[in-house]
Amino acid sequence: MDAIQVQGLTKRYGDHVAVDGISFSVHQGEAFGILGPNGAGKTTTLEMIEGLRKPDAGDIEVLGMPVWPDPMPVQARIGVQLQSTALFDRLSARELLELFARFYASEDPAGRARRALGMVGLEAKQDDYAARMSGGQQQRLAIALALVHDPDVVFLDEPTTGLDPQARRNLWEVIRTIHDEAGKTVVLTTHYLEEAELLCDRVAIMDEARIVALDTPAGLIASLNAGARVAYTDEQGEHVLYAHDAQAAVLEVLESARAAGRPVEGLSVKGPSLEDVFLNLTGREFRE
Amino acid sequence: MRHRFWHTTAAQLKMTFRNRIALFWSLAFPIILMSLLGVLFGSSVSAGTITVVDLAHTPESQQLVTALVHTDGVDTKTGTDAASAESKVRNGDRDGALVIRPGQNGAPASAVLFTSNTSAAQAGILRGIVGDATSTIALREAGGHPPIAFRSQSVDSASLDYIDFLLPGIIAIAIMTSSVFGLSTVLVDWRKRGILRRLKLTPMPLWEFLASRVTASLALTVVQVIVLIAFGRLAFGVHIAESAWAAIPVALVGCLAFLALGFFIGSMVGSPETADAVANSITTPMMFLSGTFFPVASLPAVLATIAKLLPLYYLASGLRDATVRGLSFSDVASSIAVLLVMTAVLAGISLRTFRWEPAN
Repeated sequence: MDAIQVQGLTKRYGDHVAVDGISFSVHQGEAFGILGPNGAGKTTTLEMIEGLRKPDAGDIEVLGMPVWPDPMPVQARIGVQLQSTALFDRLSARELLELFARFYASEDPAGRARRALGMVGLEAKQDDYAARMSGGQQQRLAIALALVHDPDVVFLDEPTTGLDPQARRNLWEVIRTIHDEAGKTVVLTTHYLEEAELLCDRVAIMDEARIVALDTPAGLIASLNAGARVAYTDEQGEHVLYAHDAQAAVLEVLESARAAGRPVEGLSVKGPSLEDVFLNLTGREFRE
Repeated sequence: MRHRFWHTTAAQLKMTFRNRIALFWSLAFPIILMSLLGVLFGSSVSAGTITVVDLAHTPESQQLVTALVHTDGVDTKTGTDAASAESKVRNGDRDGALVIRPGQNGAPASAVLFTSNTSAAQAGILRGIVGDATSTIALREAGGHPPIAFRSQSVDSASLDYIDFLLPGIIAIAIMTSSVFGLSTVLVDWRKRGILRRLKLTPMPLWEFLASRVTASLALTVVQVIVLIAFGRLAFGVHIAESAWAAIPVALVGCLAFLALGFFIGSMVGSPETADAVANSITTPMMFLSGTFFPVASLPAVLATIAKLLPLYYLASGLRDATVRGLSFSDVASSIAVLLVMTAVLAGISLRTFRWEPAN
């Protein structure tokens, strides 16, 4: 059974179409990524699935239950980390987690708080106020709050945005734990290509309110039908080309450069990435 | 779900009592304000103002009147009508009335001092001053009966020592401040930062969350009433009436009315700074117009009329009736009723306009 099914989902703000009739499904136990530049419609999509924003058209089912018109039964079984983390100022991490566990009328709130803290590696900070934590720790606390009632599906909205590289890598470990060890279905949005490639079983690439591609990271890259990405710079500027045969492509570049008497600089050959997929699909470079 | 509600309320209380600045405004500031005003105006030099009505017109009675006029400890006005002098005590316009009547059939003239029973200490001082003046005249008379027999009598009155008057006003201000700001600024801040939005994702209904906030505010109100009454009693010897328990229901209803005002501001305004400014511009003038620091009767007629439209007036006068005037619960019921109506109107409007999320 699919954990999430979305059909023809649409959201408009006046004349602006934020989400334009998208459809997709997320399998149970999957780590599913929605990748796209800022303003592509990722957060709006997520918030409609979470029951925070009412869609103008389309159907959403989560765990076999329709989200609209009454999102409450679905909300009881999902965990959400919102893009902007905001928490009460004068409650410690442990107190916040116990309070949230009680919101869900969960058994043993203290034990649940302890386990959630353990899952995100914040045991040492359990008596601190959120305001005294670093950005990465606050984000981990927000994720712990999403986990405290042991939900079936966890939504993470740009979990690593604004974090330094070390904190980002720590958070990736946390997300892997939630997915691999706790076996949860994870849906995350990101505008980091690397993150989507590393963490997600499947990735939907969103651009200008639409899903332009959906597959495994490997499948998306394979769709380029190219084994290598060859890049170089000459007096005419930067060039990128995709090729089946990297060796032949490089030789061709160098030979034509010698024939024309144009020096080539910064020649590089590597396997194509999701960035190349985005460039190929939209004709634009991906801007993080 | 009763468990969840009480645990949420406990969390709200923790947040309230850990907020040192809010706690300063709720408890320390009223104590400082009361101490300042109490020290500045609480102990007046004069024991009060009395009306002397001399109906005897004997040389001795005229001597007594002259003696009192020249006594420093008391301001003396002369009057001609005994009944009106006595009713002025009852109204609280005068602190005492001395009525000297001619003696019948050769008996000495009698001087009766009427004092207010709400201020035992002041009445004692007045009795002392008038008694001294009377016996001085008696000593000058050679032998025989004293020319004037002195006796005093207390009457029910609305007159209060300044500090007695002040304490309920200070309690009212403390309740107003913590209730208005405890729901306006806080709610706007929680909405702006997306905390309310995050709560919306949990199965706890937002009305229940608000109810827990209201319950925590009510608990803080009870603490304020008890702490401030105890401080007034211990530090300034405020005369607390037996009916003071009736201050609790008045205070709780007052808290609700001002929470409703805070909710109203919180539902109209987008940023915590604006909420703060609006709350201040509503509460500060109200503080001076509602008979908290001085009686409404001392205001110009227009302002006195405005005062009676303000919730703080009803909270302060209800608290005063219960705490120091010794009036019973049924006497404060009208103040309670007015405050409840204000609560219902403000909360009703706010529920229609309130948004859980910031405007885009």
